[in-house]
Amino acid sequence: MAATLVLLGKIWLWAGAAVAAVFLTFGLDRIDEDAQEAYVFRPLLIPGVLMIWPLVLWRWWHIERHGDITMARYSPVRSAHTAAAVAMSIAIILVLSFGWNARQDWPGDVAPVQMTKGSDE
Amino acid sequence: MSDKPFFIGYMPAPEGLRAFLVIVAAAVIGGMAGASWVLGVGQDDPGPGAVRGDYGRQNLMGIVELVPYPLLHVVEGSDTIPEGTTLMMSAGNKAGVDARALPLDGQLAAVSGVVMERGDLQMLQLRGGRRGLGPGGGPMDIPEPVDMGRWRLAGEICDGKCLAGAMRPGRGLAHRACAAMCLLGDVPPVFVSSQPVDGEEFMLITGPDETPLPKEAYDFLSQYVSVEGTIKRHGDLLVFSIDAATLKLTN
Repeated sequence: MAATLVLLGKIWLWAGAAVAAVFLTFGLDRIDEDAQEAYVFRPLLIPGVLMIWPLVLWRWWHIERHGDITMARYSPVRSAHTAAAVAMSIAIILVLSFGWNARQDWPGDVAPVQMTKGSDE
Repeated sequence: MSDKPFFIGYMPAPEGLRAFLVIVAAAVIGGMAGASWVLGVGQDDPGPGAVRGDYGRQNLMGIVELVPYPLLHVVEGSDTIPEGTTLMMSAGNKAGVDARALPLDGQLAAVSGVVMERGDLQMLQLRGGRRGLGPGGGPMDIPEPVDMGRWRLAGEICDGKCLAGAMRPGRGLAHRACAAMCLLGDVPPVFVSSQPVDGEEFMLITGPDETPLPKEAYDFLSQYVSVEGTIKRHGDLLVFSIDAATLKLTN
């Protein structure tokens, strides 16, 4: 299980590295004219791209296809956002509760069992 | 332009939002305090383990034995650590002293360091280099181990340094990552038994026939497990040589 999680983490980060390499060298210039000929800040974006590279790809594709949607960010909060916020809050409580209940109890009532005697006994 | 009141942190709060602001602020403060209390009382007691700097530096003479983690059978003790004590040893940070102890296996050695103590478990953190562990006079007879047979025990696999007092908590899930790092650094691993075996709650845990703890056991660190293995008494310390295939969670 642990090895699988580590493998999935590696795959995620390597994919993020590939996206970061392409996006920060070519893609950024195509979708943000303010970033053109500005390079020093780009390495600072690498850790973030490694983590959220699917969102970076989606935004890149969206802007390439539909143009910048910057102003859309300032639209009023949608009703679906409220439901999402409530759902996430409930999920956090459920995850904490599950984790709390999944904790093991110290096996203080389990006595040591001698299965065979030692050669010196 | 909308007439709805709009709150900006550096301006006085609008009349229509003050009550809402007070309620939200009280809820956040009260909620955080409540969450802190719940998380705090939900934690296990870290226990009495501590770095006993108040004992002062311990300068001892003893016989080094590798099982395969280095033990010291004390032959010239101190007020704190009497002759006949069997000590586990570690270096500073998350490191053991295997490399320094290897050439001294079966020999008298002079050691110097500070004690960490939890109940009858003691770990000596050595000073750096030969000041911490150096030759003391050549080969000596290692106390003959006593075979105590095969046992099935329940308990927890920890690293002996943090458990003894280097960390608080030094055991449990909250300490799992630290324990793994310590064991990867060759700090001696310790098994905490659910009930004493021959009077001992803590024992050094190794692989079969006193080989290094197998990596399979690392998956069970800091969880409550049952496991089978043989126990031998080395000096006044029990050494539990486990069969990793028998490791399983207790519940």
